[in-house]
This record gives sequence, C-alpha cells and structure tokens, in this order.
Amino acid sequence: MAETDDRYDEGSVTMPDFGDHVDNGIFSQILEMDESETDRDFSGPLVINFFDQADETFDKMDKAVALKNLDELSSLGHFLKGSSATLGFNKIRDSCQVIQQYGHQLNIDGTTEPDGDICLKKIIEALKTVKVDTKTLEKSMKKFFGLPE
Amino acid sequence: MAPPENDLVAAQAGNNSSSDFVRKLYKMLEDPSYNSVVRWSTDGDSFVVLENEKFTKTILPKHFKHSNFASFVRQLNKYDFHKVRHNEESGDTPYGRDAWEFRHPEFRADRKDNLDSIRRKAPAPRKQAMSEETFPTQQQIVVLSESLTATQHQIQALQEQYFELAQTNKVLVNEVVSLQKMVRAQSQVSNELITHLNNIEDKRRNSRHSAHSSHSSHSGPSFHTGTLGLLPDGADEPAPELRRAREILNGVSPDSQADRELERLSVAYHQNGSPSESATSSVMFPQPGGPIIMHDPLNDPRHMVYPVGQTTGIDPFHSDHINNIPYSRPLSNPSVLADAPTQITPPPKDQGGQLWGAKKPRILLVEDDKTCARIGSKFLTIIDCTVETARDGLEAVDKINHDSERFDLIFMDIIMPNMDGVSATAMIRMVAPRIPIIAMTSNIRQEDIQTYFHFGMNDVLAKPFTRDGMVRILKKHLSYLLKDPHPGLVSDETGQNLGAPGPGPPASTQPYGGPPGMTIATMGGGGQVKFEQTPIQSPATTSSWHSPGQMSHTSPNIDGGGYMGAVSNGSGGMVMTPGGTQRQPQYANQVINQVPQVGTPTIGRMPEGMGLGDDRPEKRQRLYGPGQGAFVQ
Repeated sequence: MAETDDRYDEGSVTMPDFGDHVDNGIFSQILEMDESETDRDFSGPLVINFFDQADETFDKMDKAVALKNLDELSSLGHFLKGSSATLGFNKIRDSCQVIQQYGHQLNIDGTTEPDGDICLKKIIEALKTVKVDTKTLEKSMKKFFGLPE
Repeated sequence: MAPPENDLVAAQAGNNSSSDFVRKLYKMLEDPSYNSVVRWSTDGDSFVVLENEKFTKTILPKHFKHSNFASFVRQLNKYDFHKVRHNEESGDTPYGRDAWEFRHPEFRADRKDNLDSIRRKAPAPRKQAMSEETFPTQQQIVVLSESLTATQHQIQALQEQYFELAQTNKVLVNEVVSLQKMVRAQSQVSNELITHLNNIEDKRRNSRHSAHSSHSSHSGPSFHTGTLGLLPDGADEPAPELRRAREILNGVSPDSQADRELERLSVAYHQNGSPSESATSSVMFPQPGGPIIMHDPLNDPRHMVYPVGQTTGIDPFHSDHINNIPYSRPLSNPSVLADAPTQITPPPKDQGGQLWGAKKPRILLVEDDKTCARIGSKFLTIIDCTVETARDGLEAVDKINHDSERFDLIFMDIIMPNMDGVSATAMIRMVAPRIPIIAMTSNIRQEDIQTYFHFGMNDVLAKPFTRDGMVRILKKHLSYLLKDPHPGLVSDETGQNLGAPGPGPPASTQPYGGPPGMTIATMGGGGQVKFEQTPIQSPATTSSWHSPGQMSHTSPNIDGGGYMGAVSNGSGGMVMTPGGTQRQPQYANQVINQVPQVGTPTIGRMPEGMGLGDDRPEKRQRLYGPGQGAFVQ
C-alpha cells in the first residue's frame, strides 16, 4: 500500500497511536476527508456509526450462535469485516475474518473444518475477542473525536 | 399393508356398542372343525391357538380377512385380552410349547351374551400400538424428511426440465419467426424476379411480335386479339413457368392468425426472460423478434433457489449460488446491444477542472455497507465525481434500467443482500454493455476474479479500497474524461476499456462478431447491401409492369414493403443468400418449392405440438425417476 503510506508521511493528520487496533495509513485517509481537523464532520459520524453497526452485528451474531446458524455467522462476519477494513480497524477485521471463515466451515488456512461444533466454538471465541476489542477501540475513538463515552 | 387396514376397520367397528371383532372371535371358536388349530381352553375361560402357522394361513384370512398373526395379537391386546403365560421351565405347558393362550375375564365359552361388555380399551390404545410399530417415530421422521428432500429434488429437476423446454421452445419460436421473415423476404425477391423476367419476356415478345405481325399482316387481326399471355404460338409462349411461379407465390398467403400468435409468443418470451419484470425491463426490448437466443431463464433468480430477500448478504461464490448466478450469457444478445446504444460522447477536453475535463464522471457506487458506501462516496466526491449509491444489486439494476447512460462507471460490491454484484453486473450488461464495472471486493483469488470478468466486470478494486486506488481505476477507465489525458495513453487506455480484460466485456463491444451459434447474422453488412439492390430493381420493373392480370395480386409487394421497413428499423435483419438476386429462374423455383412446405400451417401448429407431444414423456420420466429412487432408500 505504497500510496497510503506516503499520504501518511505527509503528516497532514495529527493522530494518536491506536496501536495494532488501527491501520494508520488507512484511517488517516479517512481523516483527510474532513474539511477541518477541529470539526471532524465526516470521520466523526462515520466512526460512531460504525460502532453502532458493530453493536447491531454482534447482537445478530449472538442470535446466530444460539441457533448454530453458521451461514448467517459467516455473512455477518463478512459484513463487518468490510466496514472495519475500510476504516482500517484491523483487530476487528481479523476477528471478523475468523468468524467468516469458520462460518464457512473453513480453518484460517482455508482447509475444511468438517466439525460444526468446533467451528461454532472458534466463532464464539472470536466473537468474544472482537467485542472486547471493539469496546476498547470505541473508547479511544470517542476520546479522539472528543465525544462523551 | 392389508392386515393393519383391516385391523383398523375392525377397531373402528369395535368402538360401536357391539364389537365386531369379539363376535368374529367367538364365532370362530364355535366352529368345531378348527379344534386342532384353535379352540376354547378346557375351562372355557380362555382360548388357545395351538398351531400358529395353520391358524395364520387358513383361519385368520377366513374370519378376519388378513393373515397376520401379529396383527391379530395386537387386536386382542386392544380388547384387553392377555396372553396366558405358562411356566415353560417347569414343563407346565398344557397345549404345547408353541401354543398361544389368550384370556379376557368376560370372554367365556358359556357367556355369549356377555360379548358386548368386551370393549376396546379406551385409554391410549395408540401408545401400545405404537410400541409395536415397525417404525419408531424417529425413523418415521427420517423417512418423511427423506421423502421431502426427494420431493424437493424432484421439483427442482422438474423446474430445470421446464426451463430447458421453455428455452428450447423459445429458441424454436424465434427460429420460426425468423424463418418466416426469411421466407417472406424470399418470396418478395421471387416476386421481384418474376416481375423482372416477365418484363423482359414481354419486351422480347412484343418486339418479336411486332416483327412477326408486320411480316404476317395478311393472316388477319384475330391473331392480334389474343392477350399477350395467351398466344397460341408455341414459340411465342409467355414463359408459363413464370406465371405458375407467381400464382403459387401469391397463393401462399401467410396465416396471419398463426403469425400473430407466434409474434405474441416471441414477444412474451422476451419479456418473461428479461431480468426483472418489476423493473422497466420491457422497455429494454422494444424490438423483439429477431433470431435471438436470450439469456438462460434457468438462471432467473425468481425461479431459482436464489435467496432473494435475505438480509445479510448473498455470496455468489457460496456453493448454493455459484451455479445460480443469473444471466450467464447476457452478452450473446446482439439485439440488446444494438438497442442499447451506450455511446458516450467524449467531452471537449480544453476546459477547466482539476482532474477532469468539462464533463465530470458520474459514478454509481453499489455497496450494502453504509460505512464503506460513505467512505467511497466521500473519496469520489472529493475528486470531483458525481456519486450515486445503491444499497444492493437490485437497486443498481433498477437505476441502470431507468437510465442506462446516467453513469460513466460503476463500482460494485460483490456480496450484497437481495442481489449480489456479479448477478447485478450480468443484468446491467444487457442494457449497458460498455460501462466500466469495477468489482470491489476482498475476495481477490484468481478464480474469483475470473468469474467477475466472465460476468462482464472490467476490473477489480481490492477492499479495503483507498482513495488512490479509486483514482487509479477512474484514470484507467475514464481516460477520455480526463482534462489532460496523455496523448498516447488515451488510445491505449480506451483500447483497454473495450478490449481488456478477460473474455467478458470485449465480446459485448463487438455485436457483429457474434457468438458462433448465430447462424442468421443480424444486420450484417451483406444483408443490407442486398436489400438495397432489390428496391432499386422494383420501381423500375413495377412501373413498366402494368397491364397483365397478375397485377391484381399485389399483396406480396405491400407485405414486402412492411418487411423492408422492419429491416430498416434494425430488428432481425435477414441475410439473403449471397447472389440470390442474381440466380434467377432456379432460385425462384427453389423458393416456390420451399414455400408450401415451410409455410404457415406447420408453423402454426408447432407450439401446441411441443406442449403436448414432446413435453410430457420427458416430464414423466423425471417425475417418477428420482422419486422412486429416493423412496427406496
């Protein structure tokens, strides 16, 4: 991603370090879309919306887990993976990838996992992780955007 | 299966006041000839079946209309008879080891009057029956669900069969329609030829005549009074073949009723086959009727197990859907291509703007995820593009159907609810063959990308997309809109737009190259040239062809005129046999010979014949084939 890197190097955005939660190159691109750094009227609502979306998705995932609906879990995982990736929220993205894969009854390396219970177990683990990660990130994002937690 | 049924009948009868079963039982025991097989016990308070096999084979059928001992025992149980158990080890088996003794407190040899008090057990008689059922409930459910699956398979097989037939029928109807047009055109040509030949004949004969008459004026005026066509002089005969040819041609008037039916059918097929009836699809095909093989209706999502309406997102690569992606052959439809001019006029390039020329790109962003859509829109608007978004494939198709020229480029997500991006692309390609469609996806495996290209996508933008990635795509595919296009780049890039990448889009830009199956090319250059020749001949010939009686049969000319109009409209032009207009008498004869056979009666009957004849045996086969197999399991 050479092109994103040099954007970042321009240093047009002052950004705290979100650690491995966020791909700074991608996220800074989003921040660049704001008209002003003081009033982040594009990225702010976008990020907040994302967290709403994430919460909704987690609810749906919980229901799908209860019903052992792997297909549904896979597409929910895919769905949230898309937006988290676009925002550069890598940790969330990775867990979503895990959920998507096991929803397809595939291991991370792409081999088939025939045991549905194992898949479900892996998904439950990943879901737990992703919820925690999302909460953590939400906190620091809200802080960054100057919003009440 | 017979015994349990009887059993049931008996049981139901038993619910009435007098029990049929008990009466039968008593009656059977009254017969002394059965003594060695079944009889009252010595005390008369029970009865004994001594010879089980004999009893089952001879007595049961006679009195209970079945030969199932288990059933008989079950029935006894229902009436609260109990088997009398003897201690076998002590050897206390008064009637032998294999004997079955049954007892009911009210059932006694000396109490015939008491029979009515023996009733079928009221409480949960079913339960007991169930426990003896050969199929436990669990197993029955399995059997049921198996047969349900079998039925589903059957239905799907039937569906496939049906669409196959519908498809064939459609192709045939189209074929027939085009053949009809061909025949009409040919008879028109023949008419022109005959006219022409007659004309020449006429002139020749007239000149010869005048010469002849001047020579033989003495032979009297009677020689001249005969009409031109009826000259008795053998040498002067006015080519009877020509007259016959014309008569035959005129005699074959098309069966307009059947024609209309056919036309209606072919129009209906086109409309039915079009992507979504709810959308403005019928507008897309204003000129149906050419020899066109439309897209495969099998892939029509309305009929398939395609999860329309699902909320989370349809992955076209999911094993359930991969084979159902609609419109796998959207590009093999030349008429649509001809009917949907998506010619984008390059704007003048000498005007202001940062990246773009006078005309800013109009982009359709198809993305179900709000976050991605907003980011994508933002990226695009910031580089001066006009952006509209669609939340799924269906909405995108609607937008394009509404106005196929509104957008210069489409970014298309792949996995979306209601309709996935690949299917949407396939549909959009039917109306907008040239608009660049860019897949936005994180699935960038080689085979996925091949699928995208196969269904008409032009490029792939990997997700998560970046602003620069988008710009790169726009520059590549919309180079003609750039303010400052690299001179060399333009031709190069446009060439790529049309020619690259993969097999999908290029085919769409070459309507005349055509799929190999298109034996009757549409609007081929040759066809048009040929038709230009005929009209040139006709005015000259018809104007001089006045007096003879055949002129009253001018209907073919009118007919032909209409056909000419159709050709100029561009729907299903015919390619004349090369050199057809030059090959004169033989050609006319060929047509004449063909017309009565190819003619309308056969055509008129055809759809019916197909419906009744060909259809059924096939269906039947399918219906019973899988069903039986599944049930045997």
